[in-house]
Amino acid sequence: MIGQLRSELLKQRSTETTLYLFLAMFGLVALAVTMHVVALGADDLSSRTRQLEVFQVGSRAGMLFAGLAGALAITAELRYGTIRPTFLVTPRRGPVLAAKLAIGVLVGLAFGLIAEALMAGDAVVAFTARGIDNQLTGGDYLQLLTGGAAAAALWAVAGVGVGALVRNQVAALVGLCAWMFVVESTSESFVPGFGRLLPGSAGLALAGNSDELSAAVAALLLVLYAAALAAVGWRATLHSDIA
Amino acid sequence: MIDQTLSVVPPVAATLSEVAVSCKGVTKRYGELAAVDDVSFSLRAGTVTGYLGPNGAGKTTTLRLLLGLAEPTAGEALVFGRRYRELEQPIRKVGAVLESNDFHPARSGRDHLRMLALAAGLPLGRVEEVLELVELRDAAKRRVRTYSLGMRQRLGLAAALLGDPQLLILDEPANGLDPAGVRWLRTFLQQFAGEGRTVLVSSHLLAEVAQTVDHVVIIDHGRLLARGRLDELINNGQSLEDVYLELTGAEIS
Repeated sequence: MIGQLRSELLKQRSTETTLYLFLAMFGLVALAVTMHVVALGADDLSSRTRQLEVFQVGSRAGMLFAGLAGALAITAELRYGTIRPTFLVTPRRGPVLAAKLAIGVLVGLAFGLIAEALMAGDAVVAFTARGIDNQLTGGDYLQLLTGGAAAAALWAVAGVGVGALVRNQVAALVGLCAWMFVVESTSESFVPGFGRLLPGSAGLALAGNSDELSAAVAALLLVLYAAALAAVGWRATLHSDIA
Repeated sequence: MIDQTLSVVPPVAATLSEVAVSCKGVTKRYGELAAVDDVSFSLRAGTVTGYLGPNGAGKTTTLRLLLGLAEPTAGEALVFGRRYRELEQPIRKVGAVLESNDFHPARSGRDHLRMLALAAGLPLGRVEEVLELVELRDAAKRRVRTYSLGMRQRLGLAAALLGDPQLLILDEPANGLDPAGVRWLRTFLQQFAGEGRTVLVSSHLLAEVAQTVDHVVIIDHGRLLARGRLDELINNGQSLEDVYLELTGAEIS
């Protein structure tokens, strides 16, 4: 299993894909937070709740990009055909998926931490520049970093499941983006009672960006989503024919 | 259907360990279509067999079934008497190349081999050995997207050789190779087989096959048409091409 983990890690390190994902996330977070802080009125940003909502961008970006990285771990192998030599080496397939999930957790944690830290740093600079009083406590920052990283790690696990299930790379990536930016935000706006239970909203609650759910319930929900998607993707991969 | 089923395995009952590949009534259906239809043959260890048939005859599907990438609808496809998935460390017994371009374009040749060696639990020194063997050491650092087709074929072969296997399964390995590449491959396969190892190579380059193999299996429309020693199949002055075209009905595919 150590060999499988090292193999999966090398797969991720030996192409620029993860770096590009990271740069895209970096750009998105920097752009979004700057726009929010510049465009919103000072009164709008005066309360702790509103400030935490601004920080949502970091949590969302961490989760989404972690999910994309998870999906890519499997769809890239299908797209470029490396799945064939991979499964020739490990024909029982389970260890390959286990390694992808484990490395997905690590990559997800890193994406989550980096997104939240970048968000926090950027927002603090912008608040200071505009003379806005920063209402966030040390506890808030701690929850952003730990909850945000955990949410991103779980999204990465779910992403591996989605990738294994959807198989087509473009469809999986577009699907995840659409889920985060269309399905989740539409549901939050129009059916909030249901929307708050979706994986993106649960992640926000876990990171402390929203108080729609308690952190414990949010964590439980996210674990269930991630486990269910990983299990379905696992099952689909174990016995599927490889072209 | 022409009955020309010469046995590849000699009547002197070979023990199980001497049979490298055996297909017993292998069938693979996709809906109504039978890509492989009740195909049976076995290959004795130490033989070099050409697996021949027109495009779409079911050659690649058979190889995928043998390698555990797909499951047969019926029958058994075995390597060394077991299903591929049940082999311990399969790449130490079987090396295979199914597509000539199963690489991430942004990954270096060396990293491609390393990720497979790590997963297989092989020492990374083995990667350098196979790079040397296929004459890719100088290009190992480069990304695969800069490789020529011939280099990609050799990188695929290097991956198949990582585990120093006893059986090599290659799907159309000479496709797109220039004459120097074809000669290199032929010399390589002869040397590999000369060490008493087994080769199963699918192809429709008949002239090339006739120079390399000692046995042939011919299929079309998923059905076995002939199997046997090459010299027995073409013993009345016909060429392999004559026999092949006669069997497959000479339709243009």
